[in-house]
Amino acid sequence: MRRTNPLLALTSAAMALPAFSATQPVESLISIRATVYEEEDAPAHQILVGADDRYDIDIGQFRLLTPIGSDWSVDLSVTHEAMSGASPWYNIQGANQQTSLIMSGATIRDARTEVSLTTTRYQDDSSISIGLTRSDEDDYEAKAISVSGEWDFNNKLSTLSIGLSYSTDDIRPTDAPNFGRVLKEDKSSHSFSVGWGQILNKHSSLHVGLDITSHDGFLSDPYKLRDTRPDDRLEWALGLKYRRYFDNQNAALHLDYRYYHDDWGINSHTLYSAWYQSLGSDFKLVPNLRYYSQTKADFYSVTNNFALPLTTNQSSDFRLAGYGAYTFGLKAIYDIDTWRVSLSVDRYISSEDYGHSGSKGEHPAAVKFLLTSIGLDFRF
Amino acid sequence: MELSRHAFTAMGCPCEVRLFCDDTKLAEEAAARCVAEARRFEAKYSRYLPGSITTQINSSAGRSPVTIDPETASILDYSGVCFEQSHGLFDITSGVLRTIWHPTMQTLPTNEALDQCLSLVGWNKIQRSADSIFLPSAGMEVDFGGVVKEYAADALAEIAKSLGIRSGLINLGGDIRIIGPQPCGSAWSIGITHPTEKDSAFAVIEVEEGAITTSGSYERYFEIGENKYSHLINPITGWPVSGLLSVSIFAPLAIVAGSIASIALLNTKEAGLEFLNECHLPYLAIDQNMDSYGNLAK
Amino acid sequence: MAKKIVFLALFSCCLTACETVQPWERGRLAKPEMQFNADGSDDQLYSQVYDSKEASSGGNGTAGAGCGCN
Repeated sequence: MRRTNPLLALTSAAMALPAFSATQPVESLISIRATVYEEEDAPAHQILVGADDRYDIDIGQFRLLTPIGSDWSVDLSVTHEAMSGASPWYNIQGANQQTSLIMSGATIRDARTEVSLTTTRYQDDSSISIGLTRSDEDDYEAKAISVSGEWDFNNKLSTLSIGLSYSTDDIRPTDAPNFGRVLKEDKSSHSFSVGWGQILNKHSSLHVGLDITSHDGFLSDPYKLRDTRPDDRLEWALGLKYRRYFDNQNAALHLDYRYYHDDWGINSHTLYSAWYQSLGSDFKLVPNLRYYSQTKADFYSVTNNFALPLTTNQSSDFRLAGYGAYTFGLKAIYDIDTWRVSLSVDRYISSEDYGHSGSKGEHPAAVKFLLTSIGLDFRF
Repeated sequence: MELSRHAFTAMGCPCEVRLFCDDTKLAEEAAARCVAEARRFEAKYSRYLPGSITTQINSSAGRSPVTIDPETASILDYSGVCFEQSHGLFDITSGVLRTIWHPTMQTLPTNEALDQCLSLVGWNKIQRSADSIFLPSAGMEVDFGGVVKEYAADALAEIAKSLGIRSGLINLGGDIRIIGPQPCGSAWSIGITHPTEKDSAFAVIEVEEGAITTSGSYERYFEIGENKYSHLINPITGWPVSGLLSVSIFAPLAIVAGSIASIALLNTKEAGLEFLNECHLPYLAIDQNMDSYGNLAK
Repeated sequence: MAKKIVFLALFSCCLTACETVQPWERGRLAKPEMQFNADGSDDQLYSQVYDSKEASSGGNGTAGAGCGCN
C-alpha cells in the first residue's frame, strides 16, 4: 500500500508546534526619514501674475514598531511637513493662444503634523488591526479610523486581507474673507479594501488588491478660483504586485500595476518596476522606474471660464488634466549590524504629451519635482 | 566575524550553541536564551524530574486526567502523526517495556510478563481532549524523549534567528539544526559518528541549512546468553527490534529528521530502508554488518 | 475592457501555476526586498506624494486613513 510521503505528513504536523508559528514581529524597529520635495518652477514666460517659486516641502518621519507580549504589536508613526511656495490660483488664456498661470499672491508657508497609531493582535493564522490617524495643519484637520484583518491559508501560501476605514476632514481655508474663499467645509470618506497574497513558487509571489472609496462633502480646492467639483466621488483601484527573486543575479524584481477609475471621468494606469540588486551582503542598489497616465476629469478645462454659473462644475487644476508622468528613481541601502541607512533620489516629470489620453501639452502647471530622502532604521 | 561557542549539558547529553556574529553582546544574549530554553524543555518534559509535565501525567495514570498547555498538546498531536506514519511502531507509551527488557537481565521475559506489560502499551488507549490527557491504567506512562530533544534543537535555532543571528548551529547531543551558513555562505562540515568507533567519523557532510540527526542502537544493546538485543522494543510484539544499526537523516527540521530516523530504526532492515526511500530525503543507514546505504555522504 | 480581460487571464494563469512551497523553501521569499510592502515609512511617503499630486489613489489592498488633501 502506497501511503503519502511521510515527510510531508510529519512536516505539516510539525508546523503546528509553537516554535514555528510566530508571525508577530519579535524585534522592535525605529525608523527615521528626512525628505526634501522640490517642485520645479513653472516656466517663467507662462506666469502672468505672481511669484514663480513653486512648492517645496521638508518632510520628517518617525516610526516605532514594537511587539507587546507574545500576541500584540503596536505601530506608531509621526510625520511632520513644512511647506512653502506659491501655487496656481487660476488659468487664463493669454497672448498667442497660450495658457497662462495666475499664481497666488503671497508665498504660502504651512506645516502639517500627522500621528497614526495602529494596534495588532496576532493569532496562529490570522491577525486583526485597528488604527487611528490624526492630521493637523493651519487650515485642515483630518481624523481617520481603520480596521483590518489578515488570514493565512494553505500553510501560509495564501493570505487574505480585508480592511475598512472611515475618515472625516475639516477645511478652514486661511485668508478666506480676503479671497472670497469658503469659510468652513467638511468632507468624509468611506473605504473598503480586499487583498490576496499568493506564493507562486520558491522564487516568486503575487498580490492582488482592490480598493473602493467613496468621498462626500466639499471636494473642491478652496484656494483655486472658480474651482467647483461635484460633492461626491466614487473611486476604485485594482492593483497587482509581482515579486521575483533571481538567484544567479542576487537580485529581486518588483513589478506593480494599478488601474484606477472614478466617476469624475478619470481613469489611470500606473506601472512601477524596481530592481533590488545586492552587491555584497550589506549593500543594495535599487534603480526604479514609474510610468503614470491619467485621463482628464469630465469637468476639467485648461482655462477657467468665469462666464459659467458658480454651481457648474469646473476646474483647471493640473491634477485633473489628462497627462502622463515618469519617475526615475535610485535608492541605495546599506546594512551595518542592526542599522540600515538608505538614500534615495526620485525625479518626476509630467506632461500632457506623455499620457494615453491624447491631450497635447497646454497646461503650464505640469508638475516636475525632485524628491531626495535619507533614512535610518534601527532594530533592537 | 567571530565564532562563539557555548557548551552546556541538558536533557542528559552534551550540547553546544555555535554562533557567528559581529556583535558579541548579541551573541551572548542569544546563547543565554538558547541555553535557558533547553533547560526549560528539560524541566518541563524530563520523566526523571518530579515537577515535569511527564511525571504529572504518568503519576496520574489510572486516576485522573491532567490539564496540559498548548505546547504539550501540539507535541502530543505530532507524536500521534508519528504513530500513524510508522504504522504503530513509534509509540510514546512504549517506554514501560523497559521494565521487562533491561541490560542486567539474565533470562528472557516470560509470556505472562510480556502480555501484562503490553496491556499498558498503546497510543490508542490514551484519552485526550484539546487541553487534557488521561492514561486509563495505572502503570501506563508516556515518554517525550523521542520528540522533545530534536524539537528543542529547532526551537533554539528559531530563537537565535528571531534575535537576528544569521550564522550558527545548535547541537543537542548529536542532533544538529543549522541556524544559517557560515559567513560568506559556506557550509558547515558535520561529522557522522562511526557506529562502533565513537571517536571517529563515519562520514563528513557539508550542509548550509537544515538539520541532521543520528539515531542508533549501537551504544545501547545488551546480551542475554549468546544473543544481542537492541534497546529499541517493538511496541506491537513487545520484542526488541532487529534491524538497522544506525540512521542519519538530513531534513529541514530536526524534529522531522529525528522522527524519520527513529521510525526507520524501529522497523526491520528492509522495511526501514523502504521507509527511508519513501521520504525522499538524503540519509545514511548502517546495518549490523557495517554496510551502508543511502546517499547522504554524496 | 480588453485590458481587464487580459489581467484576469494572467491572474488565473498564475494561480494554476502555483506550487506547494514548503516552509523551509521560503528563504528567498522572506528577504526584505521580496516583501509586497517594502518599507512602511517609504510606502507612506510615496503614497502621500503621489496621492496629493495626481488624481489617483489606492490599489494597495489596504484601507488607508485620510490624507488631508483636496
